[in-house]
This record gives sequence, C-alpha cells and structure tokens, in this order.
Amino acid sequence: MRSYAAQRAGLAIVQLAVLSVLVFVLTSLLPGDAADLRFTETLTPSQVAALRAELGLDQPPVERFVHWLGNVVTGDLGTSLISGGPVADIVRNSIGATLVLTLATLAIVVPLAVALGIVMGTRENGRVDRTITSITLALSAIPDFVIAVVLVAVFSLKLGWLPATWIGGNLLSSPALLILPIAVLFGRTVCLLSRQVRAGTVAALNAEYVTQARRLGVPRRQLLLRHVLPNAAVPGVQELARTGDTLLGGVLVVEAIFAIPGFATALVDGVETRDIPTVQGLTLVLAIAALLINLAADLVCNRLVPRTEALR
Amino acid sequence: MTLVVRVTGLSATAGDAVLVDGVSFEVVAGEVTALVGVSGSGKTTSALALLGEHGDGVRLAGRVEVAGQLVVDGNGVTAAASTVRGRVVAYMPQHPGSALNPARRIGTTLQELAKLHDGDPREAVRAAQLPGDRATLKRFPHQFSGGQRQRVALAQTLTCRPKVLVLDEPSTGLDSITRLQLVHELRELAATGLGILLLSHDLDLVRALASRVVVLDAGQVIATDVLPPAPDLETAGTSAAGQPLLTAMNLSASLRPRGRDVVLHEADLAVRAGACLGVVGRSGSGKTTLARCLAGLHERYTGTILLDDEPLPVLRKRTRDQHRRVQYVWQEVRGSFDERRPVDQQVARTAQRLRGLTPDQAHAEAVAILARLGVAAITAARPPSRLSGGELQRAALARAVLANPDVLICDEITTALDDHGTALVLDLLTELKDRGTALIWIGHDLRLVAAVADRVLVLDAGRVVEQGPPATITTEPHHELTRRLVTAARIGDPHSPPVLTTDSRSEPRR
Repeated sequence: MRSYAAQRAGLAIVQLAVLSVLVFVLTSLLPGDAADLRFTETLTPSQVAALRAELGLDQPPVERFVHWLGNVVTGDLGTSLISGGPVADIVRNSIGATLVLTLATLAIVVPLAVALGIVMGTRENGRVDRTITSITLALSAIPDFVIAVVLVAVFSLKLGWLPATWIGGNLLSSPALLILPIAVLFGRTVCLLSRQVRAGTVAALNAEYVTQARRLGVPRRQLLLRHVLPNAAVPGVQELARTGDTLLGGVLVVEAIFAIPGFATALVDGVETRDIPTVQGLTLVLAIAALLINLAADLVCNRLVPRTEALR
Repeated sequence: MTLVVRVTGLSATAGDAVLVDGVSFEVVAGEVTALVGVSGSGKTTSALALLGEHGDGVRLAGRVEVAGQLVVDGNGVTAAASTVRGRVVAYMPQHPGSALNPARRIGTTLQELAKLHDGDPREAVRAAQLPGDRATLKRFPHQFSGGQRQRVALAQTLTCRPKVLVLDEPSTGLDSITRLQLVHELRELAATGLGILLLSHDLDLVRALASRVVVLDAGQVIATDVLPPAPDLETAGTSAAGQPLLTAMNLSASLRPRGRDVVLHEADLAVRAGACLGVVGRSGSGKTTLARCLAGLHERYTGTILLDDEPLPVLRKRTRDQHRRVQYVWQEVRGSFDERRPVDQQVARTAQRLRGLTPDQAHAEAVAILARLGVAAITAARPPSRLSGGELQRAALARAVLANPDVLICDEITTALDDHGTALVLDLLTELKDRGTALIWIGHDLRLVAAVADRVLVLDAGRVVEQGPPATITTEPHHELTRRLVTAARIGDPHSPPVLTTDSRSEPRR
C-alpha cells in the first residue's frame, strides 16, 4: 500500500491541475479587457482591435489557456498589461509585506492560542473557562475594520504612540509599523484557534485512553503533555491551516486601512484595471500557497495521530 | 495464602441513590475472585473503588484495603489512593482496545509505565503473548487487530507489575474459541502470583476460572461462592415440514467490486416457515456477510436468493411488503438508533411504517414486546444513550419483531445479555417460530445455537464446511473447526478441562 504522504501529495497535484483551470476560466469571465479599459478614449475601434491582437486577447480561450499554462510551468507568469513589467516582479514586490504580517501574527497567535486552549480545556465549564470563552466569542464577532478604526483612533490619533499608516520603508526594520496591523489580525485568529484547541483538549481528556493512563498511575503533568496534547493539537493544526489561508489572502482590510502595499492590494488593483495576467498570476500563487499549507497540515496531523493509513 | 485486597462494607452513594450497599469481598494472590451480576449491579463501581476512583458526585465509604494500604475509609478516599494506581492495582476496561492512545507507539507507553513503576516491558510483552521485537513496539495501536489490541492493553497493565489485576468483562465480543484461550491465559497469569478480580456476567467463564464468587444484585451481595444456576435451554422443536420459505443458492459475496476480496464462497441454504437455521463460525468467517446478503444490505454478491420462490432483490429495490417480511437484527445496535429520540418511539415506528398501524397502536405494541423482553416502559422512554448495551439489543429485536416478519435474521443478538435476558429472548423467538416465522440464528456459541436451531450450518473462511441437525453436529463433528467449537462450548464444564495450545488469534493488520 502506498504511504499516506504519497497519496496525499498525489491528491494535491490533481487539485493543482483543477485549480489552474479554475483560475484561468474565472479570470476570463471578468467583463471587459485591458484593451477596452486603456484605449477607449484615445483610440478608434480598429486600433483597439489591433492592440487586442497584439496582446493575444483575440485568440480562442483554449489556446490562450494552453499558452498561459505552458509559460506558467516554465516559471513565466506573463507580462502585466498595465505596467508592462513581468507579473513575477509584482508578486515578488507585494508578497514580502504580506508574509511579514502573516508570520509575525502567527508567531504571537500560535503559542498564545495553544496556552489559552489548554487552560480552558482542562477547566471545562469552570469559571476561568467560561470567562475566556465569552471574551473570545465576543472578540471574534467584531469585524476587523471596526477594531482597526478604533485602534487607530485611540493609539495613533489620540495618544499618538504609533504610526497610523505605512509611510514607506522596510517593515522589518521598523516594528512600530507592525504593531497596529498585527493587533487587528491577532484578535479574531487567536479566538478561533484557541477555541479549537480547547475543543480538542476536552475531547482528549474525556477519551478512554486518557482515563486508562490515569488509572495506570501516569501523573497529571505527564498525562497532559504526552497523552492529551498530541491528540488535542489535531483540530488546532487544521484551524491553523485555515487561519494561514485567511491571513495570506484576506488581510485586505488591514492592508487597505494601514496602506500596506501587500498581496491583497496588488490583487485588487489588478482586478480594477482588468490586468488579467497579473490577476491570474497572483491568484495562482495564492492558491498554491493555500494548497501547500493544507497539505502540510494534513501531513502534520497524520504524524501526530496516524490513524488514517489510506485516503478514503 | 496472601490477602491482597480486602473490601469490607463498601458503599457508594450519589445523593439519595445508593449504587453499592455494604459490599465485602477479598482477593487472594494467585487466585481468581469473580464479581458476578447483571449490568448495573455495581460490579464496576465496586472494582474501581480499589483505585479510589468514583464517578462525579459519588461518595465512597466503608473500608478498602489493597496490599496493606488503606484506599477508602469511613471518610471516603484516602491520600494513599493515588499511589496504588497501576503499581498495586491495574484495571483492564471492558473494551481495552479503545483504551490505547492512537497518537503513541505502543513501545513508548510501555517504556513510560515501566519507568513510573520499575517494571520490565519485555517481560510484560512476553506474558501478554505479543511478539517483542522492535518493529512491533514501534507500531501504533491502529496497526494491530482487535484481539492484539487487547493484548497490548494487557501488556500495559502488566508493565506496571501490579499485585492485583481487575478485568472488566474480558470475554465481551470474543468468539468461543478465543474465549477458551483467554481462560488458559488468565490461569497462567494467576499462577504467577497475581490476584485477579474478574467482573463478568459470563457464568461459564466464571465457573472455569474463579475460586471465589461474589454475586451482586442492585448493589448488594446476594450470595457468595454459589453461582446462580444456568437457565435450561429448551431443546430444539421438531422442524416443520413444507416448502422452504427462504432459499439461497450458490451465494458468493465480495467486499470490493467485480468479485475481489471474496468473503463468502458458494453457500447454499434453505429455511422453512417455523424452522430455525443456526449459523456458527469464528469471527471473520463470513457469518455477518451472509446475513447482510439475505437482508439485502450487502449488494456485492452473486447467486440467487428466493423468498417464496420469488427472487428477493437488494434492500433498496424491495417493496414495502418485502421489507416487512424479511427483518434483520444485528450485533452492534447502538448506531442504529437515533440519539435524540426516545427508544420506544423508534421501536414503534416499524409497525407504523410497515404495517400501517396508528402511532398509538404501534406504541402500545412496542411497549408490550419490550416489557416481555425485560425492558421496562420507563426505561424505553429514554434516549438510547441512557440504555445499556443489553437493553438496546433487546430493543432492536423488538423493533424487528414489530414488523411481523416472515423471516427474522438474528446476528449475535445475545452477546450483551446475561442468562436471564437470553432466556427472555429465546422465549419470544420460540413463540414466533410456533407462529410460523422462519429464523436464521447466527452465533459463535455452539451450545446456544444447538439449543435454538433445527439445523446448523458451520462456516469457516467463507465456506460452508458442515451442516446438519444440531445433535449430529455436536456429537459427531466431522470438520476440525466444528470439533474445536464443540470443545470450546464446554468451558464451563469442570469435568472436561479443555486444552488448546496454538495461538489462533487473528494476524495483525498491515
């Protein structure tokens, strides 16, 4: 029998193939194209048609797809219709800020959420558990932009402690810039993640194997760390993968409010200008990242609790 | 004679409810003491008191002394209780396989326990009859078969080098040959000087092993050193003459499409109205697959199934009348009940759906049949999670009987029942037979099957290896497996100690 990892990787390749078709088809559905948008006011219809031919927009969709896919496989994401530069450069320039934001957020969220989850799970329905559960539930119900606006109003405008927007410069060398955006992203993710860890801990604590280990005299601390935690981590890791996806693709609100030139900003700009190659390139990179994150999460879970030998 | 456990006047109370009332018993090193009683009689509560363990809101009182340490006194659980867990008393739960952590290699847990209790994992693995090589120890629990998982759990408890081993219903779900092996292994363990406390409703097992017996009922000791008599099983009725009602010819079944993984090979069977066909075999011999084919649940089969000379299609193509005429009760019934609705409503539903009764009529019939099977109306009005395994098994039977079936297939339906419950079930089935219902009774206990059936069919590895009237099968078995089943059926009989040497438990899964 093939190993779980091999099967799971095989599945990921199939997903990747389906995904590339979807990315291409969906972006082609956008109304209007770059030629329309750029040239309507200055050029005659015949000139527009000529430009369209030059950009390859008049080819049948299947041919365009094969051409695009061939280029993508060789590492060429195409040329932006707006800036005229390679799409790969746009990806490279925008992904840095998003990665810094995502990784910094996760570095704070993960340990905190795990700790909170275990604290809540081991005191199921106790006073501490109910207090933290209520707070996290309330926090996760507030939209990001509300938190962002409130934080900016208080810390930047009123107190003047932190910069409200990105004013150029390297994110890494000026951590003050990161504090407010991370604070916004932090709230919801820590809530969702800690609740999953809590649920996992509660389930593992009530499992028969933990009862049995306790009956065989395993001390409480050892029981929590070695018997409960690996099982409790599984739902947490899956939620972490989902959080990773969201952070990479969905930090738009945060990027917009704090004017950080990240991935989501580049993507929205591309859609607005009908810059199809850019949109396709960015979407593809994002989708592959999501695929890899989920693949990694599944492999980690199978390593933690190797119950699934084969995919069903 | 060393006394390792002395329990005197133990009581367990939850609020006003008394779960255990003045129970006393002793366990001696090198011997087996049995706590006997129906489920809910306080066996497990009494045994867990040896560990100082009790349910939420339950108060223990009395005196429990384990290897010289006082675990429970008049004021409840003492501080010393935590020191006896594992090291002095090791407890094996009813389904030990599910007590293994899926995230840990078995060797890791064994090493951990050995370190805690100065045990020797190698010796424990050998005593539990597991291969002790590195590859085995590096496996995860899911890579073992059900039988081997029980051994892994046993190895864990033995690694703690306890003085007392508590076994909670160790024979649940074992076929009779494996049960026989269990008897030998437990004898060997006791011979090493271990005091064993056996909790069981399986009187045959108790007879074969225990030197002291304590009978519990509703939390009180009602007898010591005397076993309640086994109920007389009725002898087989004469088989009714006439045409076969249900016939299967050349029936082969496979697990995967296009005939791969065949689990049943060209079986032929016929059962007449008012007759009972018994099917015996070890676990994995294809008994349940055969039943599922007849019930229409297993669709990957070839061959012919006829009901009254008309072809019987698979379940989803059956008419409502065909649904009614063939009913199937299987072994693992908990999953077949909706968790949120009361059991009596779910039982009554069959009569509404298949016989068109009004809800009130159906409910009245359901309650009557359940009461006859020993499930009180007040119990049946609860959701399934509040019923014991034995009660649910009987509810599942009642649910099928309410359809007024012509053919009733019973697949190991008495595994969770004590002797009294079994007798009630057999009584109902005898009446059904007299009314002309054809029964197919599947079991691994040849003694019981022989008492119920007019004709017995022996399955081994998916093939019918022998069939005939029960008297012939039990007195002149031809096939090797039949001989072993006949021997195993006698484990409660003190005059013919059964002997079995080879380990025939199933191989580990890959």
